[in-house]
Amino acid sequence: MKKVSVSEQGLVEKAKRHAAAVGVAMKESVTPLTATVFYPRERKKMPDNFRGYLLFDPEKCINCWECAFICPANAIQMKKAPAPNNRFYPTVDYGKCIFCHFCIDSCSGGALRTTKIHDVAYREMGEMLTLTEEMIEPPEIIREDKKSVEYEIEKDDLHLKRTREVDGLFVEPTPPVEIPMVSQCVDRASCLGCRVCEEVCESGAISSSSAEGVLEAEGVLRMKIDIEKCTGCGLCVKECSMQILRLVRRGK
Amino acid sequence: MAAVAAETTTGQSEWEVAVPEKPLKEKVYFENLKAQVIDTELCSRCLTCAAVCPALPEGITLTADDKVGFPDYEEKCLDCGACVRVCPRFEYEPKSGLGEYTDFIAGQSKRFKGQDGAMVTELIVSAIEMGLIDRGLFVGRDNRWATNIFHVRDPEQLAITTLGGTKYTFASVLPELKRAVLLTKSGVGVVGTPCIVSGVRKLQQEFPIFREKVKLVVGLFCTENFHHTEISDYLQKKGVDFSKLVKTDITMGKFIATMTNKTVKFKVKALEKILPSGCNVCTDFTAVEADASVGSVGSAAGFSTVAVRNENARRVVEFIKKRGYADFGEGKPEELAFLVGHKKKRAENIPGFQDQEDK
Repeated sequence: MKKVSVSEQGLVEKAKRHAAAVGVAMKESVTPLTATVFYPRERKKMPDNFRGYLLFDPEKCINCWECAFICPANAIQMKKAPAPNNRFYPTVDYGKCIFCHFCIDSCSGGALRTTKIHDVAYREMGEMLTLTEEMIEPPEIIREDKKSVEYEIEKDDLHLKRTREVDGLFVEPTPPVEIPMVSQCVDRASCLGCRVCEEVCESGAISSSSAEGVLEAEGVLRMKIDIEKCTGCGLCVKECSMQILRLVRRGK
Repeated sequence: MAAVAAETTTGQSEWEVAVPEKPLKEKVYFENLKAQVIDTELCSRCLTCAAVCPALPEGITLTADDKVGFPDYEEKCLDCGACVRVCPRFEYEPKSGLGEYTDFIAGQSKRFKGQDGAMVTELIVSAIEMGLIDRGLFVGRDNRWATNIFHVRDPEQLAITTLGGTKYTFASVLPELKRAVLLTKSGVGVVGTPCIVSGVRKLQQEFPIFREKVKLVVGLFCTENFHHTEISDYLQKKGVDFSKLVKTDITMGKFIATMTNKTVKFKVKALEKILPSGCNVCTDFTAVEADASVGSVGSAAGFSTVAVRNENARRVVEFIKKRGYADFGEGKPEELAFLVGHKKKRAENIPGFQDQEDK
């Protein structure tokens, strides 16, 4: 075991250190350096990837439910929009939300986006369940701040940097990366020849030789996916009852 | 613009599907099936057609009178011909006899309780333990003895006691088999009557997806099977209380319903009135197309007879022997002669079969 002992200091060294301490005390009494942000008169400046209040754009939502599936706190519930829309959109319960923003990461359409809003107040628990309609527009915010504050680390010390500007609370979302896909048949021999894929294809990419008389004359049904027309929407993949169609990455 | 050569090695953008011939040229395929199989009372109700019918969610199904039908086929039939391609009785080639087998043994499971030796359960569960398959389809029943299908993935699920034992009622095994095939990773095991086994083979012949994924087909010795409504009505008339019924069995020409407090016995001949028309034209007693056929006849009481027909089934039996999961004895194929002959005679009931014989 090693015994901890006070290091030996000379008289000069001790006097130097006392003088430095008195110096800092005098400096602080003239220009106090506080680490406190005077919210709401000033706001801390947040980075663009700050995980704050969620906004939602129903136009971009593809109804994949991925946000609800991935939410680890079970804060996102899908609610059916009234007829004739009938689609399901997310609602967020901020009483449960842990602001992990997995929902935004999982949103393939870019319908969910973050803001720098972190100060929404509710009168009761029930209000924290935010319905889809309430997520489209940001909540009402009264801005009293005139300055924005940033922490800076200088010489192992934390300083506050105040600037006379009001920080914007909204961030332009990064557009989602689109991977070009195309529908392909992966098990041609298991095809039933039901032509459901052709029927559901909205871009007219899937065609078959099912014209009157042709089928009987030839004895075979010829199926074709026009890869130039295929938009990779995946409707045929979903509808194929034998599950032999797949979306594959479009080659270069 | 050939620059967008999307072709990856994983897929194809052009393919051909052979279209089966239509006897009735002007009609849709389902109407052909209806005219050739259902209306001629050849239909065995194996539901192979319903398993592949793509006209979802309507499609080919069981109608209220327990027959195969397609309520709105004039409007909804996609005319693809899949039902005709897979129907084992569209171009009916009746099979009969004992079929080919490599081993004819008697077995009694030490782990499970079933109809006799519980060898069906043992075969499927052992195949799961071997890793040959990852799920087996079992026919369960509700408290009215109506059938439903279970995906068994773990031997512990067999704590549901209604999964073992014979039900003598049709079950929708094949539509569930398709679901299982699409879900499975390594393979599926399936148990069924000879007509269901024939349906599985037809599916495998037509579609590679079934060839790859259905790895073990256990056939059951079968003289006939019944519609649920008809047999339950009949049994109730005979004084069978379904809430107390624990086992049904056919032995020595007698139907025996065992209840907790009493047993009801009557001659199986009495059931001929409700014999389904599909069974009336079926000549296959031993499920000759199965990987292994299991039944009660041909072995001592408490044992199941197992006819091992191919490599997959032989490997499973070897596995059971190695682990000591079951006791084995000699099977007696000659004991099956009467019932095999009995079913072979039903060929007389097949329309046009006599003509074929004469040719």
